[in-house]
Amino acid sequence: MADPHAAATPHAAGSHAAAEGGHATVATYLRVGVVLTVVTAIEVATLYIPGIPGLLLVLSLIVMSIVKFALVVGFYMHLRYDPQVLRALFVGPLLIAIAIILALMALFGAYILLPRT
Amino acid sequence: MSAQAAEHAVHDPNLGITGLDHRKMGMWAFLGSECMFFGSLIGTYMSYKGKSLTGPTPHEIFNIPLTSVSAFVLLMSSVWMVLALNYLRLNNMRWAKFWILMTALFGAWFVGNQVYEFAEFVHEGLTLQTSLFGSTFFVLTGFHGAHVTGGVIWLLSLWALALMGKLGPEDYLKVEIAGLYWHFVDIVWIAIFTLVYLIP
Repeated sequence: MADPHAAATPHAAGSHAAAEGGHATVATYLRVGVVLTVVTAIEVATLYIPGIPGLLLVLSLIVMSIVKFALVVGFYMHLRYDPQVLRALFVGPLLIAIAIILALMALFGAYILLPRT
Repeated sequence: MSAQAAEHAVHDPNLGITGLDHRKMGMWAFLGSECMFFGSLIGTYMSYKGKSLTGPTPHEIFNIPLTSVSAFVLLMSSVWMVLALNYLRLNNMRWAKFWILMTALFGAWFVGNQVYEFAEFVHEGLTLQTSLFGSTFFVLTGFHGAHVTGGVIWLLSLWALALMGKLGPEDYLKVEIAGLYWHFVDIVWIAIFTLVYLIP
């Protein structure tokens, strides 16, 4: 961590906050923000593409959502820099949550990820 | 645990046998439990999707442009949060306070959009009791909105403490933990936005 008593201007912070002991730079945070914005725009735009096959639409939306999810967790929540035990604390329950969703859908016969044509 | 970590733990009561801070581990464990909580709600919504006997249906009432703006606003609030944490780490309290406030304001903007959306839906005849869609939709998005509201209150509390000079770089972990919570509500919305609003 940087010296807490070291004053920094907003401008300087961008160049001084280089990756140090598990912190991304401001530039990295902003780049991730731009990617998140662009992916969100593509997600919404995909809905308005005429004639796109339902399966392709659903799969592309899910992939883009996973990309956004991973970027926020990895960079903004610092999980890619954090110790293994913290990753396990989050990823374990996340996998259980995904299993819960799939199990409920299977139990209720809800195959709606593949939209009806 | 290494000898160095053990020695550190003796001096810092917040460090456990893993050498990690209890508070941060506690927050990650809480977020893990929240994953399962929202997983259940999302699973219920998905299971009942398209099985309502009465309208209105999602296609009839969803306002995708408004929800897209909400998604963008929440994503941007996550960017502001990491900027706030960065400036706090650098002991630049002026900009740390500014970005904490911006994060809270964008969170409040998101909640405002959700209140407007809910009011519109009720006006168009969709309530908690109307149909399976109404029940599962309002419970899922309502719980998420409540989490965002809690986060906004938390952030405003941190901002008020910073204004009073009671929050500084030594409190980095407290703000980091608030940030973890804030980013979590963002990733939950990423899932809800795709699964509930975008997938036909």
